[in-house]
Amino acid sequence: MNSPVILLLLGVLILALPVFLFHPKKGLIALLKRYNRDAEKEKIENALKHIYDCEYREHYCSLESIAGNLGVTSDKSSSIFDDLEKRNLALTGNEGIKLTAEGRDYALRLVRIHRLWERYLADETGVDPDQWHIDAEEKEHDLVDSANEIAEKIGNPVVDPHGDPIPDKDGQIFKLEGKSPLDLERGEIAKIVHIEDEPDSIYAQLMAQGLYKGMQIQIVEKNDGKIVFSADGKEVVLASSFANNLTVAPITAKEEIKESFQTLDLLEENQEAEVVGFSGRIRGQQKRRLMDLGIIPGTKIKALLKSPFNDPVAYLIRGTTIALRKDQSEGIFIKYA
Amino acid sequence: MTTQTESNCVNCPVHNAAHLKKLGVNMSDYDYLVALAGNPNTGKSTVFNSLTGLKQHTGNWPGKTVTRAEGGFEYDNSKFKIIDLPGTYSLLSTSKDEEVARNFILFGQPDVTVIVVDATRLERNLNLTLQVLEITDNAVLCLNLMDEAERNNVEVDARTLSKMLGIPVVPTSARTKEGIDNLLRSIKEVATGEYVCKPRKVKKMNRKYQRAVDTLVEDLNKNFTNLKNPRWIAMRLLEGDQSIINALEDGSLTAETEKTISENNKFVENR
Amino acid sequence: MNNVKEIVNKANVLRWELGENFHDSLIEAIYKEAETISKETVKFKGENYSFSLDRTIDKYVTSRLYGFPIMLILLALVFWITIIGANYPSQFLSTLLLDKLHPVLKDFALGVGAPFWLVGLLIDGGYLATVWVIAVMLPPMAIFFPLYTLLEDFGYLPRVAFNMDRLFKKVGAHGKQALTMSMGFGCNAAGVVAARVIDSPRERLIAIITNNFSLCNGRWPTQILIASIFVGALVPAQLAGIVSALAVVSVALLGVFLSLAVSWGLSRTVLQGEVSSFSLELPPYRPPRILQTIYTSLIDRTLIVLWRAVIFAFPAGLVIWSVANITIGGEPLASYIINFFDPVGILIGLNGIILLGFVIAIPANEIVIPTILMLTVLFTGSAAGHENGVLFELDSLKDTEQLLRLGGWTLLTAVNVMLFSLIHNPCSTTIYTIYKETGSLKWTLLSTFLPVGMGLMLTFFVAQIWRIFSG
Ligand SMILES: Nc1nc2c(ncn2[C@@H]2O[C@H](COP(=O)(O)OP(=O)(O)O)[C@@H](O)[C@H]2O)c(=O)[nH]1
Repeated sequence: MNSPVILLLLGVLILALPVFLFHPKKGLIALLKRYNRDAEKEKIENALKHIYDCEYREHYCSLESIAGNLGVTSDKSSSIFDDLEKRNLALTGNEGIKLTAEGRDYALRLVRIHRLWERYLADETGVDPDQWHIDAEEKEHDLVDSANEIAEKIGNPVVDPHGDPIPDKDGQIFKLEGKSPLDLERGEIAKIVHIEDEPDSIYAQLMAQGLYKGMQIQIVEKNDGKIVFSADGKEVVLASSFANNLTVAPITAKEEIKESFQTLDLLEENQEAEVVGFSGRIRGQQKRRLMDLGIIPGTKIKALLKSPFNDPVAYLIRGTTIALRKDQSEGIFIKYA
Repeated sequence: MTTQTESNCVNCPVHNAAHLKKLGVNMSDYDYLVALAGNPNTGKSTVFNSLTGLKQHTGNWPGKTVTRAEGGFEYDNSKFKIIDLPGTYSLLSTSKDEEVARNFILFGQPDVTVIVVDATRLERNLNLTLQVLEITDNAVLCLNLMDEAERNNVEVDARTLSKMLGIPVVPTSARTKEGIDNLLRSIKEVATGEYVCKPRKVKKMNRKYQRAVDTLVEDLNKNFTNLKNPRWIAMRLLEGDQSIINALEDGSLTAETEKTISENNKFVENR
Repeated sequence: MNNVKEIVNKANVLRWELGENFHDSLIEAIYKEAETISKETVKFKGENYSFSLDRTIDKYVTSRLYGFPIMLILLALVFWITIIGANYPSQFLSTLLLDKLHPVLKDFALGVGAPFWLVGLLIDGGYLATVWVIAVMLPPMAIFFPLYTLLEDFGYLPRVAFNMDRLFKKVGAHGKQALTMSMGFGCNAAGVVAARVIDSPRERLIAIITNNFSLCNGRWPTQILIASIFVGALVPAQLAGIVSALAVVSVALLGVFLSLAVSWGLSRTVLQGEVSSFSLELPPYRPPRILQTIYTSLIDRTLIVLWRAVIFAFPAGLVIWSVANITIGGEPLASYIINFFDPVGILIGLNGIILLGFVIAIPANEIVIPTILMLTVLFTGSAAGHENGVLFELDSLKDTEQLLRLGGWTLLTAVNVMLFSLIHNPCSTTIYTIYKETGSLKWTLLSTFLPVGMGLMLTFFVAQIWRIFSG
């Protein structure tokens, strides 16, 4: 028993134990938590959200679409619906399945938490965009009580990072105006006002293309099956089914149209340029901090020195030397003076 | 709640006692309350030290004054209490420091807010200055680091600056205590109302935002009398600032009314 | 008030209609205004000399070629001056307070008829531990902090952060952590306080939690003593000095490595969801004001940290004396505890005495070795010490070595003591400071128990592998 070899193995086992227990996805605790979480309640909540979504988009909602959305059999989906009906949360009418007033309240609460949490992650933390939605899906079932606290902390936002309206405390919600990019004509300029975050696979693709809410696009080409547009000086090609997950609003003539600009990280030492704006990746706390430091459209900016590893780089900004990391300077658009 | 009874000052403004207590300010034994604001590394601590004679740690290091320091001084037979706010670039963001500074100026209603700026980098420092002037009328601009400005051939026209900002502007070199006397005099003048500030407000906002602010200001004025800075409140509402919403609800923004504010009003930093 | 609700609702409608750019637009407007004002009031009349001087200095201190050498030389210089300079005052203080004053006090107390146990408790216990900490801690801190503050006042430190940021970004931390870490080499509590300059909450927490991996002033003597006795002995005498110094430096470097590794781990797990944003201003260089700097850094840093340490050291002294001198059934209390700890201690290549030493010396790392020596004497019945149950240190390395070997120390014990001294809980002063700075019990507990866990783990594995190879 006291042989060091055995002890060593034992030690390795003990060391492996916390990993086994605490691994965020596959660990025992995570599994238990998932198992213990009220699976039924979650299904019901997800169904409610789906029905709400149908209403919001004016789609037809049926037992089949519920089954499809939740990934369950149609037997299961009808039993879920029975449950909803029994609790007076949803009902069937001539236009498919609808929510009752109570059901809508419930759904809006869920939606609120989900979108608030996404906004929190996007604005305040370094969590990756494709992680926002996934994380929020988990949180929405737990955070019922702390929704208002989160909202207050981040300034009661009215929009989530994808552009969806966030219902307020009393369940009031605004309606998003806009259309699919497929409805735009060639040459037309528009702004992305919403990026649908479901399903994950499509959303991840859109994020990988560098698309963000507020981005300006100009349609270059449109033919069956795909659409080509320019955005931030790059050309983006999307399959129609993907493009349909975007909502855009044509830009009114008054708003300034962004050309293709350079980004700040391209500035050479001692070169000077003028700031034109921020890419959508710079957001929330990060963006406010940069603006407070004096980086706003029109600011003259000069690269002064590179650090030994070329990152960060120090810039002269309104008389003060400020170092920015590359992932920040990549998100700042400039034009050469 | 301590009141102003110990004070020997007759025409001092009534402080919002409940608020100050919440903000951790001992109410007794002073006539005027002074707040010290400024960008990081502009010599705020040095100014604070030369005003109070205290020896707080100064350092050439942005963001060093994190906790709030306070001290006191006497000038011309009046007692002043001075609060050193955290050095910030702005008052509009959600960071903890800015919240502390912003709420102190708004709710603490100091008699004078001294804004310390770096004379060699005036433009960027005016950002904070103009924000402070949106919140409070009674302010003094301390144009610090004048020696450095001189050495570097930067000339600042203090008189024009004062005219444009509508508040006293005092050039100082806090390190050598130059100009501190003038600063004291200006503080006193503003505190007693000898000097009436007419602070400059920001005008060049995009029209649609300006309209939004105006609509809200109108509504605010209709519903509340006595609101000191409706414009600032409107702007904060457009940014969803919860402490403002709470303050409107419990009436603690409508000046003079000494209502006790609800316990859950969390604008004080709890360190 | 219902009106408020209406107004807030109206504001929300406006926010929805206006989109999210209100904040941006406001800041832009303010800056435009600022530009207008400064155009009318500021004149630039010729060259900005300090600006070009700053740039010239920056060229060198941030250059790829000279940047790091300059940094290392400056840091080495600071440490060198600290070590050399602290030597004499430390010896002076310890002669005065320990060798001279202690017996006088004790005789006096016994002379006026104070009971033996009270004298023991207060003077052999509390007094001795307290002045021990002062003698070891005060001189280096009184030199290190002002030097460091001078660099800070000059404006050099932000440049270090600038140079090092890339490395720290890789592990999810802030370049300024380089500074809190080097501050930690002086004192972890001061390092934790220094983390205030990091304005991003997440990165600041990382810097606070990992500061303990910087080998602090209180632990260097332990490392040096053990390394010279046990590691130096492995090589011929003329190499002993260098080899033992190398051993100590590798322990310190291991600390740096762990600090980075733990930062990496934290930023990807527990701290992932905390607020994070980066900014680093490089202020102009300014000639430091030497006298004022020395004054304020003494007041601000040295004395405050010292005071906290003293507050914790005194009760620790009481405990140390008590466990050594209170007997139950003819055996001192310590024996029972040591016997209890022994199995675990042996398992991880240490022993019960050492573990007990680390536990009761939590208030100050400075007294770990004296406590262990005292307990060893007590436990082995060796006559090497002065009085039984009193803190002491031996003047000669040889005597210390003999005593430790008598206590069952081997090379493995020595290595593991060095490792465990690097990787265990922060001292109580630091723990308290962490609590004050973070205001959170959760992070305080994490910063306390994470390193203990890691230390126990590491020494355990080293012991087993050692035993396998040494048969
Ligand atoms: N030359 C000069 N230096 C100053 C003056 N006031 C402050 N300083 C220096 O500026 C640096 C920052 O000062 P500090 O008071 O710590 O600034 P804070 O961060 O705004 O509190 C310190 O090195 C001071 O010595 C001044 O009037 N002239």
